[in-house]
Amino acid sequence: MTAKITIKGLNFYYGPKQALRNINVRIGEREITALIGPSGCGKTTFLRCLNRMHDLYPGNRYEGEIILDDRNILEPGLDLIRLRSKVGIVFQKPTPFPMSISDNIAFGLKLGGMRNRRELASRVEAALRVSALWDETKDRLHDSALSLSGGQQQRLCIARAIAVEPEVILMDEPCSALDPVATAKIEDLMSDLKKNYTVVIVTHNMQQAARVSDHTGFFMMGEVMEFDRTQKIFTAPSNKLTEDYITGRFG
Amino acid sequence: MALLDRHKADRLGDALFKGAALFFAVSVLVLMGLIFIVLLAEAMPALRAFGLRFLYTAEWDPVRSVFGALPAIYGTIVSSVIALVIAVPISLGIAVFLTEMAPKPLAGPIGTAIELLAAIPSIIYGMWGLFILAPLLADHVEPFLNNWLGFIPFFRGAPLGIGMLPAGFILAVMIIPFISSVARDIFRMVPPILKESGYGVGATKWEVIHQVVLPYTRSGIIGAVVLGLGRALGETMAVTFLIGNSYDISSELFNPATSISASLANEFTEAVDPVHISSLVALGLILFVITFIVLAAAKLLIRKTVNGDAR
Repeated sequence: MTAKITIKGLNFYYGPKQALRNINVRIGEREITALIGPSGCGKTTFLRCLNRMHDLYPGNRYEGEIILDDRNILEPGLDLIRLRSKVGIVFQKPTPFPMSISDNIAFGLKLGGMRNRRELASRVEAALRVSALWDETKDRLHDSALSLSGGQQQRLCIARAIAVEPEVILMDEPCSALDPVATAKIEDLMSDLKKNYTVVIVTHNMQQAARVSDHTGFFMMGEVMEFDRTQKIFTAPSNKLTEDYITGRFG
Repeated sequence: MALLDRHKADRLGDALFKGAALFFAVSVLVLMGLIFIVLLAEAMPALRAFGLRFLYTAEWDPVRSVFGALPAIYGTIVSSVIALVIAVPISLGIAVFLTEMAPKPLAGPIGTAIELLAAIPSIIYGMWGLFILAPLLADHVEPFLNNWLGFIPFFRGAPLGIGMLPAGFILAVMIIPFISSVARDIFRMVPPILKESGYGVGATKWEVIHQVVLPYTRSGIIGAVVLGLGRALGETMAVTFLIGNSYDISSELFNPATSISASLANEFTEAVDPVHISSLVALGLILFVITFIVLAAAKLLIRKTVNGDAR
């Protein structure tokens, strides 16, 4: 596997409280990497390090290196706006902006300076096609995004994230608010996304991790207990704790 | 058997409690209804004497016993609108700063200070306005505005420091605490992940505030503004000090004017003519209706945001 992101000796602190300890992980390019572990284990915290979302709040501190391609994204003076248009994110709950469906998708593009209407329209269509939402929304692109169902809203958020053509997409339990049918659609979508994007997904759903991911990292108490090929993790984990967790003995 | 009795006593207590609570709650509605009825009854002689003309004639002459409410209505609305024009941008700026930018050790004290500003009695604002603000406006601000913006008819008139614009100014100062603290509470209700989604596609702070937070909270913010408007409409003492108390309708904002509440404060104690008294009460009735409508609208809009319907 070629590493898209290499994390070396990452420590993270919420104020005085250390939330991540010495994380060393390589995220494969054009792969899906799943992060699993009990609640509060640090997997979401880790995910949010990858586009430095923690910088929005005061008192947070990183140590170590997160190397995206060839660049350490923790270095001071890094342009966070550019980082985040390169590393998109999708959250637990759908977060459509209070505007029309097409404006939601065009949001990031317009911020990036795209003004040409035809270009915007074609990019909106492309993003909606990738997220398998085009057929459902093509006749009502100018309706409010809030009129979509929960599952559709979440696919809209994925479309919005990919519209700006990022290289990495972070997903923080993207299906936790969705029903099984909507979840299946998102999982199909993830497999498609893998062709062009590096995807990192936090999930509480072990089957989901097993179904969709190539590599899996098991987090516990702010540390990575085990990181390996998904198949290996779920069939022959080398760490007893991993085995206990995936077999449902705790968590 | 003993158990059954206890239940009975409990039920009686509950019923009494419910009755008492209901009584107090309903008494608020009854009180409001009574105020309306009394105002209407007392205003009847004036309304009968002048009819609807009371609303749109501009003459207010206690000597000839001719009364028209237009100057007071005009002054009330214009001074409140001036207040909003000044206060809304400042208040939103304060609220955005407090929720999105201020470091924690700063946000707390500033937020509290703003809430305390709202608690200063309006007579204090009036005195401050008369002794400090008015000379300042007369000597510096009004000549300056006239000099540079005098081509707009609004920025003309006698630069006395007492008049429509100064009244709007002091009202702005008084409603900024209201609007900014309500707006702050509304901004706080924006889900963090919604903002993070904005940042997640590469938005700057300004872009997130302007294109995500403000549209999301729009109806609530309008509600906050209308709440401020409601307060400005009824504000009495500070306005009475500064508006100049003249029944003239002028587009030149430096000129003295009057408002409904200022007229009431000035004239109620002196009025002897029954028609004069009745006309003043009618003014009060008009203010009551205007304020009622405005505040009801504000409540509706704020509730819409709280319920999560952002449109």
